[in-house]
Amino acid sequence: MLHWIQYIRGYVTIKVWGYSAERLLNLCGNHDILVWGIKDHGDYHTMNISVQGFFALKPLLKKTGTRAAVLQRYGLPFFVSKMYRRKIFVIGLVGCMLFWILTSGYIWNIKIDGNFALTEDVLLDYLEEQGVHTAMKKSRLRIEDLERALREDYDIITWTSVQLDGTTLLVHIKENEMPEYDQSSQSKNDKGMDLIADRSGTVSYIITRSGVPQVALGDTVEKGDVLVSGAVPVYNEDTTVRKYQFVQSDADIILRYGEDISVEKSVAYEEKRYTGEEKKIYVLGAGDKEWSLRLRKIPYAAYDSSEEKKQVKLLDHLYLPFSYGHRIVKEYEITEQKHTEEEMKTLMQEEWDKIITTLDEKGVQIAEKNVTIKKNDKKWVLNAHMQLEEAAVKLVPTSTEPVVEEETQEETPTE
Amino acid sequence: MLGAAIVTTTGNREAFIENYKGILEYTTESIVLQGKNCKICFEGKKLSIDYYTNEDMKISGMIDAVRYF
Repeated sequence: MLHWIQYIRGYVTIKVWGYSAERLLNLCGNHDILVWGIKDHGDYHTMNISVQGFFALKPLLKKTGTRAAVLQRYGLPFFVSKMYRRKIFVIGLVGCMLFWILTSGYIWNIKIDGNFALTEDVLLDYLEEQGVHTAMKKSRLRIEDLERALREDYDIITWTSVQLDGTTLLVHIKENEMPEYDQSSQSKNDKGMDLIADRSGTVSYIITRSGVPQVALGDTVEKGDVLVSGAVPVYNEDTTVRKYQFVQSDADIILRYGEDISVEKSVAYEEKRYTGEEKKIYVLGAGDKEWSLRLRKIPYAAYDSSEEKKQVKLLDHLYLPFSYGHRIVKEYEITEQKHTEEEMKTLMQEEWDKIITTLDEKGVQIAEKNVTIKKNDKKWVLNAHMQLEEAAVKLVPTSTEPVVEEETQEETPTE
Repeated sequence: MLGAAIVTTTGNREAFIENYKGILEYTTESIVLQGKNCKICFEGKKLSIDYYTNEDMKISGMIDAVRYF
C-alpha cells in the first residue's frame, strides 16, 4: 500500500555528499520530510525522498553544507512526463487497445458443423439472409431467434446450438438422419395417386398391388402415360361408373428401352510436365482484397498456382479480417503424347466401367448389349447399343375427376 | 521513564528506535543516535537506515552490539 502511494506521488533517489549527511537527516526529520532506504557508500550517502520533499530540501542543503544530486526518478509523475515526450508511442498504444476493443465486438468468422445434407454454402447464405454475416456487430446477434429460425425453416434440422466464442460464431446443428416423408400431402390428398411412365419404353414386367393397371405386358408407352390409375371405378348395374374410389397406386413396373451410347477417346493427348521451376509469392489480404508482394510479372508461359492462406487470429478464437500466406507458382510445359494400344484398352475399359456403374447407381439393368470398338490412328470409338430395364415410374396426383353429380343423384333414392 | 529512547530489536537484523533526538553518525559499521540522557550506538556490518522520521526510524543489517554511553 505504501509502495503504491509512493509510486503515485513519485519519488527520487538522491546522492548526498559533503560535510555532514547526518545533520541533514536530522533536519529532514525536524521538517517532516520522509526519507527512506538510506545507504552509506563511504564518500556519499544515497536515499529516497518524495518529490515534494526534494524541493523542500534545498534550504537544508545550504544550511548543512551538503550537496545532493538526483540519481533516479520513480513514480507516476515521471512516467507521465516521459510518455508525454513519446506521444507517437502512447497514441499507438492507445490506438492498438482501442482497435482490439472495437474489433472484438464484431464477428469475424462463422463455423458450421454437424451439417451433412445441407452444405455450408447453403447455410451461410441462409445466415446472410437472416442478417448474420462476418463483420457484423456481436450485439446485433439474437442467438435464440437464430436458433429458432434455423429449426423452423429447415425441417431436416432437429437441433441447433449457436454459440459465440471470441469473435467466432459457432453454429452446431443436428440433421434428421431419416429423410422425412411428406406424409401430410399423401394422407390429405384423397384424390388418389397415379403411376405414370417417367420415360418411353416397353412394359416388360408389371405387378399391381393397388390401383387399376392401364397397360399390359408388352405394351409400348410414351413418357407421361398413365400406367396405373389411382381412381378405382365403382360401376352401376348398367356398367356406367357410379363413382371412383381413390387410392394410391402401387405397382412394380419395369420399362425396357433401347439406348445408344458412344464414347470417343483420341489417341493423342496433351501431357502437362512440370519443369521444376517454381516461385513463392507472399500474399497479404484484408477483407475481400488481396495483394501479392511481387511487383514483377510471373515469367512463365503456363503455370499452376496453389495458394495457402491463414486468417490472422488472436488466441484461439479471436479472428481478425486479415490474412497472410503464400502462393506457389509452378511452371509446366505441354507436350503432345500418344497412348499406346495397351493404354487405350485400359482407358476404354475404364470408360465402359464408368457407364455401367452410372447405370447401376440409377437402378438400371442391362438386358442386352452390343458393344463395338472402332479403332483408327487418331481415335478409338466405343459404340454400345443396349436394351435397358428400369423401374421408370413416377407417382402423381390422379387426373381422373370424381363423379360428383351422378353420385348425389344416385344416392338420394336409396335414402 | 519519560522521554527515554525505546529500542526494539528483531533478532540481530532489524532495530526499531523511537524517542530519539537525532542522528550523530552514520556509516555502514556504526550508527550513533542521540537519546535524551545518553547516546545509543549500533555496531555491526552493512547497516542501513530503512526510513528516518522525526518520531521513529528503522535500522537493518547485521547488528553486532548495541551500546549506551
